[in-house]
Amino acid sequence: MIHFDNVTKVYVNQNRPALDHISVDVDKGEFVFLVGPSGSGKSTFLRLVLKEERPNSGAIHVAGKDLSKLSNFKVPHLRRRIGCVFQDFRLLPNKNVYENVAFALEVIGKPRRFIRKVVPEVIELVGLEGKAHRMPDELSGGEQQRVAMARAFVNRPMILLADEPTGNIDPATSIGIMKVLDRINRTGTTVLMATHDAAIVDSMRKRVVELEDGKIVRDQSRGVYGQAY
Amino acid sequence: MRANFIFSEVWIGLRRNLTMTIAVIVTVAVGMALLGIGLMINSQVSSMTSYWSDKVELSVYLCKENSPFEPCTDKKGISEEQKTALEAVIKGMPQVEDVIFEDSATAYKNFLDNQSNNVFASFLKVEDMPESFRVKLGDPDQSAAVTEELTGQAGVSNIVNQRQLLDSYFGFMDKLQWMALSVAFAMVFAATLLIGNTVRLSAFNRRRETGIMRLVGASNVYIQLPFVLEGVIAGLIGGVLAAVMLITSKVLIFDSIQNFIPEALGWNTVAGIISGTMAIGVIICILASFITLRRYLRV
Repeated sequence: MIHFDNVTKVYVNQNRPALDHISVDVDKGEFVFLVGPSGSGKSTFLRLVLKEERPNSGAIHVAGKDLSKLSNFKVPHLRRRIGCVFQDFRLLPNKNVYENVAFALEVIGKPRRFIRKVVPEVIELVGLEGKAHRMPDELSGGEQQRVAMARAFVNRPMILLADEPTGNIDPATSIGIMKVLDRINRTGTTVLMATHDAAIVDSMRKRVVELEDGKIVRDQSRGVYGQAY
Repeated sequence: MRANFIFSEVWIGLRRNLTMTIAVIVTVAVGMALLGIGLMINSQVSSMTSYWSDKVELSVYLCKENSPFEPCTDKKGISEEQKTALEAVIKGMPQVEDVIFEDSATAYKNFLDNQSNNVFASFLKVEDMPESFRVKLGDPDQSAAVTEELTGQAGVSNIVNQRQLLDSYFGFMDKLQWMALSVAFAMVFAATLLIGNTVRLSAFNRRRETGIMRLVGASNVYIQLPFVLEGVIAGLIGGVLAAVMLITSKVLIFDSIQNFIPEALGWNTVAGIISGTMAIGVIICILASFITLRRYLRV
């Protein structure tokens, strides 16, 4: 599903590479934690998957497509197959829950009939039934993140990227968020989550890829956050 | 493509940026109106030029008895032989197309026809009117050369080139036209910058929305079209206002001077100019929006 082959990314005006000859394979339906300290290259990894950045060398395949051969014109179509969740939720403050989720479908030209059918389903999936008409500022942080997840998942992407989705949320609420991510993963969606949250990684017992200074220092199935003892 | 979604985005954008939108509309309207007026003057001048070019002639006035003009030194007036010789000379010139002799009686009649000043007409007698050759040229631009050659011929008192009378009028119209066009150019330039700025503000105001649109895979058309349409709608409203101004100026200015001018400015020309300026306005808006979006809305 995601295939990195010897990928190196150096940002302009920086001598140290953000990613240094990385090779990773993520299969369909996997749940992978991307861990490592700040600046270790986690966000760069996610940006490369979305083709927001181009690698300096190496090949990236996402959902069976070679990104180096994907024209700019087709990048939006790639992104329709990838859902994204961020630490800061990125909801539209002037739209309610339903409208925020529906927005993701409206802007890719889905018919209104389809939107009316799937949006309530996905709002229920993330556990926000009955709150469809709340505005974002009437929701708790955890609930806002659920809205963001509903928006990321509403188009049934093949891959869900989550960049520290529990970063702004207290530990108790985080568990609920992880349950939703797990539920999404069980539908067959590949989930790739960058995180600092040791407790969550340890409790989930999923594959862990650890980055340090742009290099993969550990790739462990059913791993934990710290070194395995 | 969901038209109502795009249009609701456009409406939100226009409303949020109301002051800038009004500025764009006013600049586009004034700029396009001035451009149109410049073009209207231009077409008026060129239609009049071609009308007059057919009619412009040299009047070669002949010496009379006691004529006050410098060349008629002997105070006796032109003799019949001199008249015939002069006619032959004029007819022999290659630039001359046609020569008509106007005697005093005809000149007097023409004068009375054109003069409304009855006091003046009452003491003027037929004998006071000078005889003349009306010389029609194949190419009106050759009038200076012909004038030079005929000056000093025996019996010629003075030569009036009607072209020179018209040139001062045409010169004034020409200046007016260039003034309108250069102000129009400045306004179009200002409009371009304003539209660019409006689109940039709009893009900044909606960066959250466009960021999400990018993320969920909206196509470039979906993301950029609302901004471009904002520019186009502002341009169109400006164009309509410009059209109103042009129609008003046609009715109030061009139609009122119609009495003095043989070739009136037709509605067909005005309609052509209006659609032309509108098209220019809209194209400028589209271009300015696109160029700005390329810089401020990376997709």
